[in-house]
Amino acid sequence: MTTAERAGAPDPAEAVPPDPSLADAPGPARRFWSVRRLPAVLVAAALLAASGLTLYDVVAVRAHRTGMAWRRALAHQLATRHLDDPWVLAGASLALLLGLWLFVLAVTPGLRRLLPLRTDDPDVRAVLDRRAAALVLRDRAMEVPGVRSVRVGVGRRVVRARAQAHFRALDEVRRDVDSVLTDAVRELGLTRAPVLSVRVGRPPKG
Amino acid sequence: MLRTVNRVVLGLAGLLLVALGAAVLTGGLDLVRRWHLPVPPEWPFDGPGDVLLPTATRQHWRAHGWWWPAVVGGLAVLVLAALAWLAAQLRPRRLRETVVDCGDGDTATVRGRGLEDAMAAEAAALHGVDRALVTLGGRRTAPAVRAVLTLAPHAGPAAVLYRLRTEVLRHARTSAGLGRLPAEVRLRAVRHRAERVG
Repeated sequence: MTTAERAGAPDPAEAVPPDPSLADAPGPARRFWSVRRLPAVLVAAALLAASGLTLYDVVAVRAHRTGMAWRRALAHQLATRHLDDPWVLAGASLALLLGLWLFVLAVTPGLRRLLPLRTDDPDVRAVLDRRAAALVLRDRAMEVPGVRSVRVGVGRRVVRARAQAHFRALDEVRRDVDSVLTDAVRELGLTRAPVLSVRVGRPPKG
Repeated sequence: MLRTVNRVVLGLAGLLLVALGAAVLTGGLDLVRRWHLPVPPEWPFDGPGDVLLPTATRQHWRAHGWWWPAVVGGLAVLVLAALAWLAAQLRPRRLRETVVDCGDGDTATVRGRGLEDAMAAEAAALHGVDRALVTLGGRRTAPAVRAVLTLAPHAGPAAVLYRLRTEVLRHARTSAGLGRLPAEVRLRAVRHRAERVG
């Protein structure tokens, strides 16, 4: 057998996690929360540009140099345009929508592409790429005899598998694919078990 | 930490924009009168005929002696804060070195990069893992691991995670003498062609 065998240690090549279905009731799905780096960079850059430019101009005027034309033009616009002016309304609507979007970005987790995994260890948090999950499931479904091609789409709640079988009866293949994928989904070890939807058809003639 | 700061600032900026936009819209569409909204007497936007910043108001504020120093000071604070926030996004956040407990009462300083490479090599050697990237974050005395593993074809994600936890992470924890080593693991896969069996 293997050389590095201690009592009770599993063979590294076959280390299998404890069966997820026997674990306790799942805790809350520990999703990763995105850092929101890009929105922060954009907002910070905009703030920096606006405040930096204004500061430079204010200091220049205080130092008895003429201010830039845009400041006087802006003051004039703010003092003369009425609130029902279409530009004002458009600008206010834009500000409202932008503000709403920033707020939504701030309070939602993001990273919807990553599915949380069970870890049985509060210090370790793990996620699986949705694309990776789809590939794993596709590989397992391809092992079923009769299956010519499979397309698997993994969502947060539903896994959709569409297979094409070129021999064997369709409902037999469907039953096999269903059981193989049910096991495979369980072996992914997700915190939230998705619902499986399997459809098998014949490949198009040609 | 950066996540929280970013989200708080983005949220506040969003609320500010919403408040400003809503205030101007209620004035411009005359909603105060139409919907009988209760507004305080100092509400700036009276109705569609009002303007955003009347000259009188502007000159009233400028007349104060403390106005311009306050403006310069406020803008300077804003510039510095924006600069600091921007710089925080672009910093790499990797641990330079971490303190390791040698087990005989001594402590040693280990280069963060060395520990990262060792863990990555061990993780890449795991069954079912194609490539591994490990970065160390957190504090000098309380490091945290961020690992991105690329799964080999036909690898089981839960099994790979289990091996990572019980081998690589446990090794790192015991060899560094750390009580706990928080880790964030991300599993991804490389696109590969489907192999038909039947």
